[in-house]
Order: sequence, then structure tokens, then C-alpha cells
Amino acid sequence: MRKVFGLLGLLTALVVLTSLWEWQSGDGRISFLTSANLRNLMTWVGLFGVLSLGQAIVIIIGGIDLSVGSVAALIGISAAIMMDRGEGMHPAIVLPICLLMGAAIGLWHGFLVAKVRLQPFVVTLCGLFFFRGIARLITGDQSQGFGTAYSGLRWFGNGFVFDVIPAPFLVLTVLAIVVGAYLHFSPHGRHLFAIGANEDGARFSGIRTDRLKIAAYVLCSLLTAIGGILLAFKINSLGPSDFGSFYELYAIAGAVLGGCSLRGGSGNILGVLIGASLIVLLKNLVNILEIPSQLEYVVIGGAILVGVSVDELFSRRRAARA
Amino acid sequence: MKARFSILIVLALVAAACGGPEPASEAPGAASSSDTAASPSPADSESEGTIRVAFVTNNTSDFWTIAEAGTKKAASELGCEVLFRKPSMGTAQEQQQIIEDLIVSGVSGIAISPNDPQNWTETLNRFAEQVNLITQDSDAPESDRICYIGTNNYDAGVAAGELIKKTLPEGGEIMMYVGRLDAQNAQDRQRGIQDTLEGTNITIIDTMTDETDRAKAMANVQDTLVTHPEVDCLVGLWSYNGPAILNGVRDSGKLGDVKIVCFDEEEETLLGVAEGHIEGTIVQQPFEFGYQSVRLLVQLAHGDRSAVPEDGTLYVPVKTITQENVDDFRATLSQQIGR
Repeated sequence: MRKVFGLLGLLTALVVLTSLWEWQSGDGRISFLTSANLRNLMTWVGLFGVLSLGQAIVIIIGGIDLSVGSVAALIGISAAIMMDRGEGMHPAIVLPICLLMGAAIGLWHGFLVAKVRLQPFVVTLCGLFFFRGIARLITGDQSQGFGTAYSGLRWFGNGFVFDVIPAPFLVLTVLAIVVGAYLHFSPHGRHLFAIGANEDGARFSGIRTDRLKIAAYVLCSLLTAIGGILLAFKINSLGPSDFGSFYELYAIAGAVLGGCSLRGGSGNILGVLIGASLIVLLKNLVNILEIPSQLEYVVIGGAILVGVSVDELFSRRRAARA
Repeated sequence: MKARFSILIVLALVAAACGGPEPASEAPGAASSSDTAASPSPADSESEGTIRVAFVTNNTSDFWTIAEAGTKKAASELGCEVLFRKPSMGTAQEQQQIIEDLIVSGVSGIAISPNDPQNWTETLNRFAEQVNLITQDSDAPESDRICYIGTNNYDAGVAAGELIKKTLPEGGEIMMYVGRLDAQNAQDRQRGIQDTLEGTNITIIDTMTDETDRAKAMANVQDTLVTHPEVDCLVGLWSYNGPAILNGVRDSGKLGDVKIVCFDEEEETLLGVAEGHIEGTIVQQPFEFGYQSVRLLVQLAHGDRSAVPEDGTLYVPVKTITQENVDDFRATLSQQIGR
């Protein structure tokens, strides 16, 4: 919990620093804190946060999912193809199919990791290539979109509640509560942490590790599918070869910055949410402060490194004191 | 021992796979020799076979699907075979690998849209020694390429500049968006716009890049509307920037408050023009890129250089598409690609 407070402090500090910087360098107007910008920020946090949420689950069991960007692309694009700008199938049929596709991909990854005993990095790296290729194949490299159709449904990706809270942020909140409850307050959740900390130990103490590992991958891909669909609703112009590429790295960065250890066994959903917000915030402040966009990756990379190092130092000091 | 055995099996399989298509490729060669009456001897026509040429794009955008339709039309008219390759990551290194593989597979000519022309001169020259090399879409004027077929992107920028002037008769501020500024076509378009707007009371705030990430392209637009609420017109230099601007403006609730001018003919862009949300888009004629490239490469394969102009550039003019002519344009387009 102390980690979450630390992250919250980091987030606040970043917000204050950005506002101060903009205030003293410009004409006194702080556009960073305008409602328009906060609405934009929360929208993107919602969209990328869903991906980080899924990633966090597999990282907690000591795995990793590198296929997130490609899977999100494949599912988002499939949804667009099936709905065909308002002339295709009904969303009530398409959306369940898309979620099933996500679950099937997770099942496949989980099966390969848990039963065939391939390394998660390798399995999902193959997924990264494979599902990207499928997305390009089924579209013939044509961009996909929904046109102006389904504006009601696309509200989930780009709409607002009471004109203030972005719909994707609300979706993320609901999903985070569900996933958080599952991870932190259910026996299953505790077993997932146990697997991540010591898989053999978990198995010997009677936990059905294989099943739970598969479940973790299914959950991850399911959340990725939801994220992919929301992103598709928001972006509405999906290039089969570029949509979602790199997003797995943003998802991993958000989870790691949020306190998940790639060694497995530790992590916290609240932390992940803040971590994902930090990534989105960093990208935004590069634009707002008019930092040359060449420096964007420098800012993101540097900030993650600083965040993770500080966290490591503090937890070591805590461990030494205890 | 076991390992050596499995290597043998793999080798045998590879040999079988390579051997497979050879007799098949002879058949169309023999068929085509009957209509090319000029082929002097049967032995000659067998070694020549159907002329194979290649078309290499710089990424996988919709733009190239239209060019592909052009290459197909030329291929069916001339009875040649076209290998159409779209590098998925859009990097120079990927293009290099593709071209090396194409040369190994025995194409007589390649039309390429080079991603990094400045640093690539030497590499392109090496390819030009082995096959007939022409550039299309993006030129590499320093290299030994035989000809360039494509848009004069500076002129395209000028056309966009004129459209911006017409859109903002009172003057104002504009922001530009593009994937990467190191691409020649991005620089030329930017320069064309800058030169056209010089001396007017239209000012360019900046050009923002997005590394072809469409979510970022959209976030850039939204961030602009936050940091520069007074902006009058948003200009997208690459094809996907049009839809990204349109969706970004729409989500920020500023549709109608800011004008949009963009390039190329993505479906969303044309819809936006038809609905009046986008002032206009400057389109190239990728169908012609594909069609003319293949025609020229086939001529070159026959040793005929008469179609290559003195200065080595064949410019395909751009068109300005506004609400007035967008319906006609879409009709022609869907006819070309059979959409």
C-alpha cells in the first residue's frame, strides 16, 4: 500500500511541476489543467489502462504478454470488418464473437505456457508476429473503421458521462474494481500471487497451477480484446500494420511502473492504474510543454527508470529496517 | 547422428520445395511466347519466360492498394508478372531485404518508393547494377535510378497551400501533422505549403510528428486544440493524418470551429470531405504510379528506353478534391480498385 502512496505522490508531483513549468514559461495560462486536456488525458488513461490491467495479471504470475498490441489490433479490426460501417452484423453478435476470440487467444497462449511448457516470452513473441499477420491478411492491408455508424456504441470509446467523465475511463474503473477484487480479495487471486512468487511451492501446497496460469492468460487476452475494441471505437481509422504496435510495451511499462515485478508475485491493481496514468501523462506533457517530440521517448524511458529505481531503493531500505 | 539425419531431411524438403514451382513457371512462359511474336528462338523464349517485374512500397497504407490495382491493369494488358511487396514496418532495412530477395528471384526490374533516399544512394546504385531500377512515389535523385514516376510533392504542397489560402481568406494560424519529417515527401509538402503561405497573414505554428501511430496522431490533434485554442486550420500531410484530425476534432467537440485540409484519399477522409467537415484533400494518382511503373519496366526489359524523359522524371499531376468533385472522384476510385 505504501508503494501506491509513493506512486500517487509521483503523479501529483508531475502534475504540479508540469503546471508550474507551463505557467512560468507561457502567458500565465495553464492549458495543462483545462477541462479539455483533463478529459483527453482521462480518455487515453482509460484506453491504455485496460491493456495494462491485463498485462499486470500475467506479470503477477511471473509471465509476460508481448502480443497485446497485435491482439488488440486483430480484435479491433475484426469488429470493424464484421460491423462493416453499419451494413454488417449486429453489434450484439459481433462483440461476443470478439470477446470469444480474445478468450481463445488467451487459452492458446495459456495452453502453450502451462501445458507445453514453452516460455511465455517466446509464446507471446510469436503471437505478436502471428496475430499482426492475420490482421493484415484479413484486411488486405486496407484501413478499417466504423465511418459515422454506431455513434451510440462508439460512445464507450469516445463519449462522456455528464459531459465530464470519459466513458473509457469509467469502463476502466469498473474493470479495475472487478479485477482488483479478484486478485486481492479472492482465494484464486492469492493463488495467482503464490504462483508468481514460487511456482513449485504453490504446486506442492495443492494449488492447481496449470489451470490458474491458463486462466491468467485468458483474462489478459480478454481485457486486451476489450481494450482493442474501445481503441477501435476511439481511433476509428485502423491501419492493419500500425494500429496497436508498441502498445504491449506501453502496457508493460504501465504495469512495471505501477509496482509489478517482472519476477512475478508482486503487484497491485491501484498501482497499475497509476502507472498507466503516468505513461499517458508523460506523453501528454511532452506536447503541452512543447518539448521537441524527438525527446518523447527519452522522457518516457527516463521517467520509468527513475520511478523504478526510486521504488527499489525505498523497498530495500524498508527491508533493511524491518 | 540424429541431428545430422534431421538436417538431411530438412535439406531434402527445401530442395523439393525449390524444385516444385519450376516446371509450373515454364508453362505460362511458353504460352506468352506465342503472342510475343518478336521472340527469336524457342530456347530464348524459355530462358526469358514471362517478364517479371516488382513494385515495392514504403509501407502498407491504403494508398498502395490503389497502386496495386494499377499494376494489375498493366500486367493484364502486357501479359507480364508483377510481384507487389509492402514492407510491414516501413523501414529502409526491411525494403533492402525485400529487394535483395526479389533480385535473387530473378525480376528484370524494380519500382521502389525508397524510405531513406539520402543515405541509400550507394545501396540503390548497387541494385541498379543488377536490375532496371526506377523510383516511384518518393525519389532518390542522387542515385543511378533510371527514372522517377510520381508526384512532385512540392507542387502538392503548393496546391494544399492554395487551398489553405482559400479556406482562410482573413488569415489565421495553422498546425501541421505528419508521421516523420525525415521523409522526402513530408519535407517537400511542408516546404510547398510554407512557400505558398509566405507573405500572407497565415502563420504556421508548428509541425507535429507521430511516428505513424494513429492514436498518437489523434492525441497530437487534441493536444493542439488544448494548447492553441485559437488555431484556425489543421493540415495533415500523410494519408492517415486526415482521419486522425477529423476524429480528434470531432471528439473534442470542435467540428466546424476549425478547418481541415489534408492529403490523399483514405475512405474516412473522403467521407469527411463529402460531409463538409474537411475543406479538401490533395490527392495523388497512385493508380497511375502502379500502371506507368509496370509499363516502363516492361519496356526497359525489352531494352527500350524511349519512354524515359531527358531529366529522368515523369510527374503525375495532383488533384484537389473538395465537396464539389468528391462524389465523382469516389466513383472513379471504386471502379479502379473494384471496391
